[in-house]
Amino acid sequence: MSPKIGVVTFPGSLDDQDALRAIRKCGGEPVSLWHGDDNVDGVDAVILPGGFSYGDYLRCGAISRFAPVMAEVIKAAEAGMPVLGICNGFQILCEAQLLPGALIRNDVRVFVCKDQDLQVESVDTTWTSEFTVGQTITLVLKNGEGGYVADEDTLRRLEGEGRVVFRYLNGNPNGSFHDIAGICNERGNVLGLMPHPEHNIDPLTGPTQDGRAFFSSVFNFLAAKV
Amino acid sequence: MARVVVDVMPKPEILDPQGKAVTGALARLGFAGMSVRQGKRFELEFDGEVTEERLAEVRRAAETLLANTVIETFDVRVEPTPESAGAVDEAQNSQAGNNQAENNKAENSKAENNKAENSKADGSEAQSAEEAELAARAG
Repeated sequence: MSPKIGVVTFPGSLDDQDALRAIRKCGGEPVSLWHGDDNVDGVDAVILPGGFSYGDYLRCGAISRFAPVMAEVIKAAEAGMPVLGICNGFQILCEAQLLPGALIRNDVRVFVCKDQDLQVESVDTTWTSEFTVGQTITLVLKNGEGGYVADEDTLRRLEGEGRVVFRYLNGNPNGSFHDIAGICNERGNVLGLMPHPEHNIDPLTGPTQDGRAFFSSVFNFLAAKV
Repeated sequence: MARVVVDVMPKPEILDPQGKAVTGALARLGFAGMSVRQGKRFELEFDGEVTEERLAEVRRAAETLLANTVIETFDVRVEPTPESAGAVDEAQNSQAGNNQAENNKAENSKAENNKAENSKADGSEAQSAEEAELAARAG
């Protein structure tokens, strides 16, 4: 039985369909979740997709973080369910305090859209076990508010605990502290990153298929769990 | 109606790209030597008075949603609304207000007297004009 991966659609989500398609193309069963749902019953993992949920009003992810479905996502994440936040999803995870720090406007003051080289820093997460430490991958990066910031204590803790999962290579595109592109929680089941793995699964639409390993990683994790 | 204002600002150590862009634009327009940081202002309006409980509630709301305290600070203050501002002014300046009112009263009565005198004068004028006309007709 293929694992069921839920993708939450908020008003203003942009990449929910790509995420659903990526799950299907990589061998999972995609499940559409709605921001107003009051449960995530029956899914084995959840993806919070990219986009501009609630029009980025107030702060990116600030209002989505209180959507009804998020109460269930937070509960499930704290119980160990794999949760992946991509771009706006990463912002939502930070606002929800499932991940530390915050994402602010790019220091370059422009929307960045490019194929971004990344270094894999940690494979001890449910979403990155199929990579190798030090591996260079390329994923689409497209955002206006992708500058990762956190206080010194938090950065020290993230670095010390091996929770910096991806780092920007060949130039920092947005002013993120420590070139951070993605981080995970202590348990390694919640991962947030600004680049978009769901856009890099098909040779037709991307220069690499490096995004596939995110999905195979979580499928393996879920298969081993059962 | 009472109004509480919540000001939210990016923490000093956090980069403020919007403020930097505004600073640059001001410099290009000739407004030299101004360094801008950009924040947000929220106006919360309530029926009735702003109590301590109400303020505590606003602080909770600011911490929960209006500000992200990882990157922002916030400041909560009561702002007088036009009607409450009027009430405050009246209370604070009651002495001056009374004096003013008395002055006004005095001026008004003086003006009324003048008016009365004028109308009396007008009346007499009119009367004399009437008399003149009558005299003219008679003539």
